[in-house]
This record gives sequence, C-alpha cells and structure tokens, in this order.
Amino acid sequence: MRNQFDDEDQPQTDPADAVAQAAEMFRRNAGRFVPIVGLLGLALVAWLGTFTVAPGEQAVIRTFGRESGKRGPGLHFVFPFVQRYDKVNVEKIQQVEVGFRGEERVPLEALMLTGDENIVEAQMIVQFKIKDPSLYLFRMDDAEGTLRSTAQVSLRSMVGRTSIDEVITTGREDVQRETQLLMQRLMDQYQSGIQITEIKLQAVDAPDEVRDAFHDVVRAREEKEKLINQARGYQEDLIPKARGEAREIERQAEGYKQERVLKANGDAAKFSATLAEYSKAEKVTRQRMYLETMERVLGSLKNKVIVDRELGRSTLPLLPLGAQGLASLPAVGGAK
Amino acid sequence: MSKKSIGLALLLALVFVGWSSFFVVDERELSIVVEFGEWKRSVARPGLQFKLPWQTVYTVESRVLSSDTPPAEYLTLDKKRLVADPVTRWRITDPLQFYQRVNDEVGAKARIDAIVNSEMRREFAGRNFGEIIGNAREPLMLRVTEEARKQTRTFGIHVVDIRIKRADLPKEVQESVFQRMRAERDRVAKRYRSEGSEEASKIRADTDKEKTILLAGAYEASQRLRGDGDAESIKIYANAFNVDPEFYAFMRSLETYEKAIGTDTSMALSTGSEFFRYFNQQQK
Repeated sequence: MRNQFDDEDQPQTDPADAVAQAAEMFRRNAGRFVPIVGLLGLALVAWLGTFTVAPGEQAVIRTFGRESGKRGPGLHFVFPFVQRYDKVNVEKIQQVEVGFRGEERVPLEALMLTGDENIVEAQMIVQFKIKDPSLYLFRMDDAEGTLRSTAQVSLRSMVGRTSIDEVITTGREDVQRETQLLMQRLMDQYQSGIQITEIKLQAVDAPDEVRDAFHDVVRAREEKEKLINQARGYQEDLIPKARGEAREIERQAEGYKQERVLKANGDAAKFSATLAEYSKAEKVTRQRMYLETMERVLGSLKNKVIVDRELGRSTLPLLPLGAQGLASLPAVGGAK
Repeated sequence: MSKKSIGLALLLALVFVGWSSFFVVDERELSIVVEFGEWKRSVARPGLQFKLPWQTVYTVESRVLSSDTPPAEYLTLDKKRLVADPVTRWRITDPLQFYQRVNDEVGAKARIDAIVNSEMRREFAGRNFGEIIGNAREPLMLRVTEEARKQTRTFGIHVVDIRIKRADLPKEVQESVFQRMRAERDRVAKRYRSEGSEEASKIRADTDKEKTILLAGAYEASQRLRGDGDAESIKIYANAFNVDPEFYAFMRSLETYEKAIGTDTSMALSTGSEFFRYFNQQQK
C-alpha cells in the first residue's frame, strides 16, 4: 500500500541517519538559519500576543493562570502561551427578561403568590452591567442563569410580602426598589461582579383566569365615583336655587312689613288730618260727609226700591227679589 | 545508535521531565497533587506550581456553582401543599475531601439536592403556608442553609445560600385560589357599588335636608317680619284712631259703604231710615 504513494526510486533510509543529515545540514547553514528563524519567531509572538481593547472594555491578564493585571482600551501585548487575556465590556448595560421573552409570556416565571395568598402575574426587566471583571470571570459560574434565577428569587420574596392590591397599585414602586436591593445583595454574596443598574416591573396584573373580576372592581370603583358625582351635581344644582328661593321669601316679607308700616302711617296721617278739621265743626262736617258718601253710593246704584215705612212691614216679604238679591236696609242706617 | 542519537534522546527526556515538573493552577481552579494515589498537597493559589514529574494533578472548580434542585411538593403545618423550586449556590473549599467523598460536580449536586430536599421538608412542615410565602421565608431559608452547610462540610463544600426560586400552589389548588380571588373581587366590586349609592343617597338626603331647612328658615324669618309689620301697623292705627274712636268708626263705615256697595247692587230703602229723615217731614 505504501508503494502507491512513495517514490520507488527513493532509497529506504534509517530515521536516525535522516535526523543526523538534517542536523548536519542545520549545522552547516546555522549562520544563515538563526536570524531567519529568530525573526519568524518574533513575528509570530508579536502577532499572537498583540490585541486591542475596545472603548468600554477591560482586559484581564492571567500569567500562568494567575491574574496579573488589567488593561484599559488601547493596543496591548501579552506573551503567548504564558499569558492569556479575557476581554469584558464593563460599560454596556445588558438586560434579562423575567416572566416573558420578547412578545411571549412565560407563565411559569410570571405567576407568583402574594402575601395574602393570591396569585399575581408579574413581568420584570433586569438591567445590569459588569462592575468587577475579575469577580465576573473567576468567581462565579453561569452568570446569566444566576441572574435569572436570582431575579426570580428576589421578586417572589418581595411580592410574597405584599398584598395583591398593593402590588397592582400603590406598592409597585416599593416592590421594585426592594427587589433591586435584595438582588444586588445576593449577587454580591455570590461574588458575581455584577451591578444591577435598574429593575423595571412591567405588567403587574391579575392572572388571565381572574382578570375579568379584577377589571369589574375597577369598573365598580368608577361607578361609585359616578354615582357620587351625580349626587354632588344634584347638590350643586339644588342648594343655590333653594338659597335664592329663601332669599326671595325673606325679601317679600320685608317688603310686606314696610308696606304695612307705611300704609298705616299714611292712614294714620290721613285720619289725624281729617280729625283735626272735623273737630272744628263736628256736626256740619259729619252731616256733609254722610250725605256726600250716600250720594255717591246711592247715586250710582242702578236698582233701587224705596219703600214707605208704613208699607214696609207687610209688603217687603212679597217684593220680587231679583236674581242679584237686595241689600238689607239697616246698612244704610249708620248715621244717627 | 550513534552518539548524536543518544544526545538527542537525553535532550527530549530532559524537556519531558521539565514539562511535567510544572503545572498551572487557574484562577477558577483548586488543585490537589497526588503521588501514586496518595494525596500530597492541595493548591489553592493560582499560578505556576512545581511538582515531581511522576506526581499527578487533579483540579476542581473554585467558582460559585449553582444547583437547581427540581421542584417538589412540600406539606406545610396547616396541611397545605406547596410546590417549591429551591436553588443552591455552593463552592468547593477543600478539593481533597471533595475528590474523596463526592468525586465530581454531578455527584455533589445529587448529594446537595437530597439534603436540601429533606431539610426543606422538615422546615416547611413546621410552618404555616402564609408564613412561608411571606415574612418567614428569609429566616426559614437561612436555617435550611445553615443545616445544609453543616451536612456538606465533610464533602469539602461550602453552601453559600439556598433560595426558593418559585413557591407555588399545586396545579389543582390553583383553580380554587382563582375561585376565591374571583369571589373576593366580586365582594369588593359589590361593596364599591353599594358604597357609591350609599354616598350618593347621603349627599342627596343632605341636600334635601339643607334645602328644607333653608326654606323653613326663610319662612320663619318672613313670618317674623310680617308679624312685626302687622304689629307696628296696628300700633300706628291704634295710636292715631284712639284720639277719637267714634269718628274713626263713622269714617270707616262711610268708606266701607262706598267700597262694598257697587253699582250692580240692588237695594230696598225704607223711608223710615235716617237717610230719608227729611223725605216725609217738611215741618221743622
């Protein structure tokens, strides 16, 4: 089989002889080889050992596995095989989603128990950056997985201490803040070298199964407000009107009072004036006043019956009394 | 074999010996040096280390590792079932013990899971469901951690902490929780609605009351005023007319005749009345 590939004319050589021949060749041409090999070696070392660190990155150098320094952005050199470097971006804000991935919800992560033994669905975004590249590289395994599970641990602990109403409404900010604090504490405890820059609670809502009931509560609250506002409207409408009406009644009464007093004063004045003159010629004035009045009264009457005193007693009952009836006489007998 | 070959062989041997006399311990590792199966020393310090060529080196991870125990059902003191998913973080502190007792990470995880499981079962059984969900969770898990730490120390392991990633109700129980939640919400919604009509009725009633009082107050004031007016006028009339009551009666009667007897009134007059005093008697 070998013959297929080997040149048959080539004489079989002893491997030791071949090495010796090569050594002999090398010894003879050493003067020419050394600088070339040396230069090639240097070029290789330079090529393998040179690296750049981009802005925002840090490189951690290990010499024989032991951390021996950090390099900032720029062009740097390490000895290949002896030294190694790992580049880490320490500026970039990265994020992990909890309870959802993109558009899709992950109920297993999102559903959790609240302090009052209700179930709530919460989604959260955790933003972080690497604050200590050495710790990040060498002290903790599986940063991403740890972040995710620690985020869940923290959120659930905090939601577990809060009632569902609080989580959904007013307690949200508190839960968010406390979760971040706890998560940072845990990540430090794990020597992760990670800094949690922000935690954002996304949707915090009742689970699908009970969402309608929750929304009905919101509606009920709005209805309550509506009913109260309607009643307030009734109040706003009625009270000013009533005040106006009350004012009107009082003013009318004030008017009445003034009227009565003024009229009385007028009547009294008239009476006093009349009396003053009357007293001066009492008999004549009285007769005159009586007769003048009777003249006016009786003069204007259309329907008069004058009955003689003698006939009066017998005829009067037989007189045809008109539809209007007759005023009785004694009314006329006022004056003596 | 020539002299040159021997020299070359020696050189290769020397390189091999030199090569196997050193080893590198990485930042992420702990190592033990073993000589023919016998432990010689442990190396925790990263860097270039020396050993005898025939000694072998085993390395283990020095980073914090996590072990995600599968979720399991636990029974609480108040006989409720709870599905908890604990996650344990640990690291190897003693590579020799670790190597001897559990051999590798997979073995270690299995042991840790078993310990965490039984410890949690014990702790959960002594606590009510509500406590585990809420405030007792932290101290409870600290105790589980403490206990697991004690039990795994001989494996060369340090348990950093144990946390409950998820604590949920079993699927069958969830539905009953949802039912309870719905009932609760219905109750709250009803309360809001009835509170709304309560409040509204109150406001309306208050309004009606206020209106009635306003009008009644006005009525009171008006009647007082009218009374005052009447009283005052009575006083004025009385004062004026009391000077000559007879004249007043006379004048007032005349006025009344004039007003009371209109043009349509029919009247029968007797000649015997005062008005006709002079009608029949010419004689003086």
